[in-house]
Amino acid sequence: MAEAVLTAEHIAKAFGAHKVLSDVRFCIGADEIVGLLGPNGSGKSTLLNIVSGFSRPDAGEILFLGKSLAGMPSHKIARHGLVRTFQLPSMPHRMTVREVLRAGSRDGAGLLNSFTGKGSEDANADELIEQFALAPVAHLPASSLSGGQKKLLSIAVALRTRPKLLCLDEPTAGVHPQLRGRMVELLKAFNKRGVAMLVVEHDMHFIRELCGRCIVLDRGEIIADCAPRELTENERVVEAYLGKSVARQKVSA
Amino acid sequence: MFEFLIHVSIMACLYGLLSLSLNLQVGFAGLVNFGQVILFGCGTYGAAIAFSHQLGPVAGIALGIVFAVVVAAAFARLGRNLGADYWGIATLAVAEVLRILANNEAWLTGGAQGVSGIPLLFGDKPRPMGPLMTLGLCVALLIAAWWLCQRLTTSRYGLALKLMREEPQLAASLGYDLAVLKTQTLMVAAVLAAASGFVFAHYITFVGPDQLVSSETFLIWAMVIIGGSGNHLGAIVGAILMQFLFAFVPFVKDALGLPSEYVAAMRLTLVGGGLLVFLMWRTQGLIPERIGGKQNG
Repeated sequence: MAEAVLTAEHIAKAFGAHKVLSDVRFCIGADEIVGLLGPNGSGKSTLLNIVSGFSRPDAGEILFLGKSLAGMPSHKIARHGLVRTFQLPSMPHRMTVREVLRAGSRDGAGLLNSFTGKGSEDANADELIEQFALAPVAHLPASSLSGGQKKLLSIAVALRTRPKLLCLDEPTAGVHPQLRGRMVELLKAFNKRGVAMLVVEHDMHFIRELCGRCIVLDRGEIIADCAPRELTENERVVEAYLGKSVARQKVSA
Repeated sequence: MFEFLIHVSIMACLYGLLSLSLNLQVGFAGLVNFGQVILFGCGTYGAAIAFSHQLGPVAGIALGIVFAVVVAAAFARLGRNLGADYWGIATLAVAEVLRILANNEAWLTGGAQGVSGIPLLFGDKPRPMGPLMTLGLCVALLIAAWWLCQRLTTSRYGLALKLMREEPQLAASLGYDLAVLKTQTLMVAAVLAAASGFVFAHYITFVGPDQLVSSETFLIWAMVIIGGSGNHLGAIVGAILMQFLFAFVPFVKDALGLPSEYVAAMRLTLVGGGLLVFLMWRTQGLIPERIGGKQNG
């Protein structure tokens, strides 16, 4: 693994008496794509919210490129290069797909740039529109896209910020199977260009194709940190997903 | 009749400035400001206080802009801890507090009596040259404000405002500092409103707290909603339309043989009825926002 881009140290979070995360520790290398798995309610989205600054941990610390993100607001974290997408991406009604993508980059988006004309170059936005197969809908209001297209747009607009770590929350939900393959190719290509990724996902096929490593959460604790192919052999992972009896049968078999 | 039309046109231009200012806030940045009239009041009282202290009109406009920027900064600060709807109510409350202050602090504002005798900007010119020159100034100001707003909202900055308006969480996740965007927008809008107030004070030659009642804010809201929120031209058209409709209400009253007290009621009906009709049946206004319109950078 290359130098760590993100390190989570002893993260804990509770909502009232309900513990959502307990002593979560992991790191992500600058060249890695890491899958974050777990059954519903295991704490994946909470962890993603904490990593991206949309929620504060009760204990522990997140280090990004060696710098603590404690108390840093989400927009500042994004400016440092840690950008996320959302599980249910909501898109503007009165902006086109192209406009949303153009807004993705803050270069030239300052108040005074309105008068200097800086920021008119948008080759990168057009390139992303082509890469993510959004050209036919680029002129449409972003809210009119299908759920899958909104997912693609949300990933494209996050990549527009040129992140160092991209956190994706269920990127394939609602995406057509044919496009999933294309998404894997694109995400791998961006990873080669230096974008590390943390991917929350339920689609194991997608995870196996995309990720080199998986972290599995169950009831707020990390129960596995291994390669995707090793997951089915891990008794705790099988138990978390399918229950104890199935796990015992699988191990005895 | 000619001078009456000049007067109505001047008022339409001044309301056009206020409408552009509110449209920048609510139509582009999603800032539901119910205290718009106090930003206008900053301009009127800037002119009045400068006149009271024999400081001249340049100091008057400078004072007006400083007052407006300070109030805008206070509005923005309130917005950091409040949701959009509660913030709207807070702006209304702040505007009312400031109006009551203006009503009571006679040593500074002239109190309920206000400040009268503020000189006309072109008072040395014979009629109708003076009012015509004032109209020219108002038209020039309106065009300059329209150009400024157009420039801001068709740039990448404008895209950031629209993203904040519709998807603030997405905007923050992409690195936009929403507090800064809101503060900047409010300050630009405040300067436009203060400019309108300053010219108004030197045109009417009187400044008083009764000019700052909250119904004025809702009149400006009606202009923006009827003209077309999110479209600068729509905001101007709404202001001109409402102002001319208001001006001709007395003529309609005479034609129908109604008593004079019906004038105010008819004007209120125009504002309330117009708002209702457009909110229910044509939410986009007379000139809708252009989605995916021309971008200049």
